Amino acid sequence: MDTENTNLFEFAAFDELESEHIAAPRYSYWKSVWRTFFKNKFTVAVAILLIFIVAFALIQPMKSGYSPTVTPNINNADMKFLKPGPGHIFGTDHVGNEVFDAVWAGARNSIIISFICTAINMLVGIPIGALWGFSKKMDKWMIEVYNIISNIPFLLLAMILSYVLGAGMRSLIITMTCTEWIFVAYFIRTQVMIIRDREYNLASKCLGTRTGTMIVKNILPYLISVIMTYISRQIPNLISYEVFLSYMGLGLGTTNASLGQTISMYTSYMKGYPHLFWIPVSVLAIISISLYIVGQKLADAADPRTHM
Amino acid sequence: MEETRQVILSAKDIEVKFRVRDNYLTAIRNVSLDLYQGETFAIVGESGSGKSVFTKTFTGMLESNGSITNGSVMFEGKDLTKLKTDKDWEGIRGAKISTIFQDPMTSLNPIRTIGSQITEVIEKHQGVSRAEAKKQAIQIMERVGIVDAANRFDEYPFQYSGGMRQRIVIAIALSCHPEILICDEPTTALDVTIQAQIISLIRDLQKELGFTTLYITHDLGVVANVADRVGVMYGGQIIEYGTVEEVFFDPRHPYTWALLSSLPQLGVKGEDLFYITGTPPSLYNEIKGDAFAPRNEHALKIDFEQEPPFFKVSDTHYAKTWLLDPRAPKLEKPEVIRDLHEKIKKMTDKGGAFHVE
Amino acid sequence: MSNEQREVILSVKHVDITFDKFKAVKDANFDIYKGETFALVGESGSGKTTIGRAIMRINPCSAGEILFEGKRISGKISKEEDRNVVRNIQMIFQDPAASLNERATIEYCVSEGLYNFHLYKDEEDRIAKVDHALESVGLLPEHKSRYPHEFSGGQRQRVGIARAMIMDPKFIVADEPISALDVSIRAQVLNLMNKLKAEKNLTYLFIAHDLSVVRFIADRIAVIHHGEIVEIADSETLFKFPVHPYTISLLSAVPMPDPVVERTRRAIVYDPSVLDQSGEKREMREIRPGHFVYCTNREYGDYEDKMLQMEREMA
Repeated sequence: MDTENTNLFEFAAFDELESEHIAAPRYSYWKSVWRTFFKNKFTVAVAILLIFIVAFALIQPMKSGYSPTVTPNINNADMKFLKPGPGHIFGTDHVGNEVFDAVWAGARNSIIISFICTAINMLVGIPIGALWGFSKKMDKWMIEVYNIISNIPFLLLAMILSYVLGAGMRSLIITMTCTEWIFVAYFIRTQVMIIRDREYNLASKCLGTRTGTMIVKNILPYLISVIMTYISRQIPNLISYEVFLSYMGLGLGTTNASLGQTISMYTSYMKGYPHLFWIPVSVLAIISISLYIVGQKLADAADPRTHM
Repeated sequence: MEETRQVILSAKDIEVKFRVRDNYLTAIRNVSLDLYQGETFAIVGESGSGKSVFTKTFTGMLESNGSITNGSVMFEGKDLTKLKTDKDWEGIRGAKISTIFQDPMTSLNPIRTIGSQITEVIEKHQGVSRAEAKKQAIQIMERVGIVDAANRFDEYPFQYSGGMRQRIVIAIALSCHPEILICDEPTTALDVTIQAQIISLIRDLQKELGFTTLYITHDLGVVANVADRVGVMYGGQIIEYGTVEEVFFDPRHPYTWALLSSLPQLGVKGEDLFYITGTPPSLYNEIKGDAFAPRNEHALKIDFEQEPPFFKVSDTHYAKTWLLDPRAPKLEKPEVIRDLHEKIKKMTDKGGAFHVE
Repeated sequence: MSNEQREVILSVKHVDITFDKFKAVKDANFDIYKGETFALVGESGSGKTTIGRAIMRINPCSAGEILFEGKRISGKISKEEDRNVVRNIQMIFQDPAASLNERATIEYCVSEGLYNFHLYKDEEDRIAKVDHALESVGLLPEHKSRYPHEFSGGQRQRVGIARAMIMDPKFIVADEPISALDVSIRAQVLNLMNKLKAEKNLTYLFIAHDLSVVRFIADRIAVIHHGEIVEIADSETLFKFPVHPYTISLLSAVPMPDPVVERTRRAIVYDPSVLDQSGEKREMREIRPGHFVYCTNREYGDYEDKMLQMEREMA
């Protein structure tokens, strides 16, 4: 026992390089993003709900083949205005069609349109915004362009485009992208300006890194989180634009289903058959809110400060 | 002589934990300290050693995710660890125990005039009229070295330089005649020449007003200048303490050796400076044995197994290292810091590199 | 004087640097010789970092010019020359936490310069170069896939050094490379810089606020105050025969790790009112070979007296 104790008082071996090792498990950005995201049970539940709704909205209309112009039961009074119940989950509407089919067909188009528009706005806005934030020369004239475009009244633009191009998917997408991208670009420009002169960017400059590489390697990775926040607000926003425009008669037109179209079509029956109105509105709310929550949580998870 | 001096504040077995997300971090591991009336005690340590956190327990200023999980801080018959609300702290924090921070702007309101900020404190703590408070404020501004104080009374903090702002913070801290002044790296953000001025200002004021100073710094040069006694902190513990002469001229803990040896003032041109490998321990993990062992080229096997107790070197000097155990092999301190006084004296005497007229 | 035979690698010639009417640097004028460590010492706001960044072509000069190996590198220069400057002049930054791209692996951080100039034959060669650069600063090849935030301050600073060294530069601007580091790891970085300098025959411009560090690392020292360089001398001379009152003040403010000595040491406050107030333009005058001081005629006389007195005392 005593010898054991005295042995403890020998010098221990010392290796200088030993202290350079990093014991912590390897860090990976995207793995950490997903780990943080999935840690919160509520977020996971909302994400599952969202995936389910989107998948359902994409698949269900293919089966039902719903179209507002196909009205096989229009002359069958027994099929009109049925309350939600067995056989007719959401009930039937004024022309005897299943509200369930109408809502999902509408949701499908609304989701598709908002996703396409968001993608276009981001793909155009982010690169332009990044260059804009970097180049002082470009900033001078881009600010003027921004002032002009951002002052065009949206409704007026929507009306003109819908008259010129005719109602439909194409005109709706153009309406929601032709000016919207500049807001994305402006947002990115401001973000870039905040981090442009940070020391690590000076360091890259001193190493001869070109602007393009710097945007891709130094700037955009830092903006993942704020871009996600932006997207998570933009998608629900565009869905509500679509609803608004369709409601105003500037949207997809009466021959196509969309949530806006459906809601506008059913509003007249709100008094007698409130479920016709409230069901599509609830579906709209659930889609928007869950998109927003999942987007925000993803943005949080994309911020490395949450990765501890 | 030491025994006859009165203990003004006594911290015992303090343990502080922070909750960071789902983990607990132990920032302070059973630290005790007696502060004597009128002395200057310096706590020296690297960032993360816990020196700031430890002293924040004396003023109840721990961040909201931190808590004192063990120990007591006795001051004027009260256990300060039991005080919870701001009301409990009234009359102690900012009154009997004041703190000066590294960045003067953390203590100054940027949108109020310097004068009104000092007067407010005087009015509140001394219950005098506004006119009297203003008179006192100008006096104290002059005392901390503000030239033309009466005219600068109505200026805003941004119109003052960093060194001037720190002087104002000192003026505010002293305007309510504290018993204890905690200086948390008060000169780190300042330039070297200003640093020297602030240090000597604090020392002069202490002589005049007789308060006790607790100095927190990472700079051993500053410690040598200000301190009567020194405590060296590492990994959330004080690992050696003693009078300033004992710690500088007869250090016993290998970490203290290493800190002193790596000072560039002691470097010889063309030769390598002594340096400490590796990095301070992560306080998220439980520390086994001596926290410094993994970076210590003189570590004993036992340093990795058991935490060393404090060994007594003299009545005033203690060190927490197994090297002082009778069973340990004899080891002398490194060559660079032997005869430290003679070496430094040679540098500052005529003909030496740091001699000035 | 031996200085005249030595090869000048970089000259700063009567450089002014102005930011919106504020003159950050006034008439900076000095040469740096090949193979030396030239220190620029001053307090915050003195303009020392501004000069370093002017050499890096980050800050433009409003007057004067900077020459590297005899060629002007300030102002507008051709793309080719710009690339030549980047290849040969590299920088080590003060704060390693702020100067590394947190979203890139160490491998990318160290390779960045190699990519920009395609300084490698193939992927294998690039990896070998990165491994070698990491090893030369005491890091391990296994660190390549790690991210900066996983490292300690000292390790990060060594990554910063590795990425500059991999370019095989001739000249390094080191802007307060140890100020942001913990005291216990500063020495390691200083040693490393000395080692690399000897191995690669580098020239350093070492920017610092602290004379104690500079004494250990520099061959020659320039002291800068409020944008004006007030004194230049080789390191030993500056410590032995400081003449400008600001230099003396800086020297007196260096804290010494000795409580007994510190008790008697008093910091000398710099008081510009002792200078000649006649309004005569100051210029750099050589008071002894290689020892310059920024002064008027009358001040020169005072400094000369002081110098003679010090020399008498030393002898």
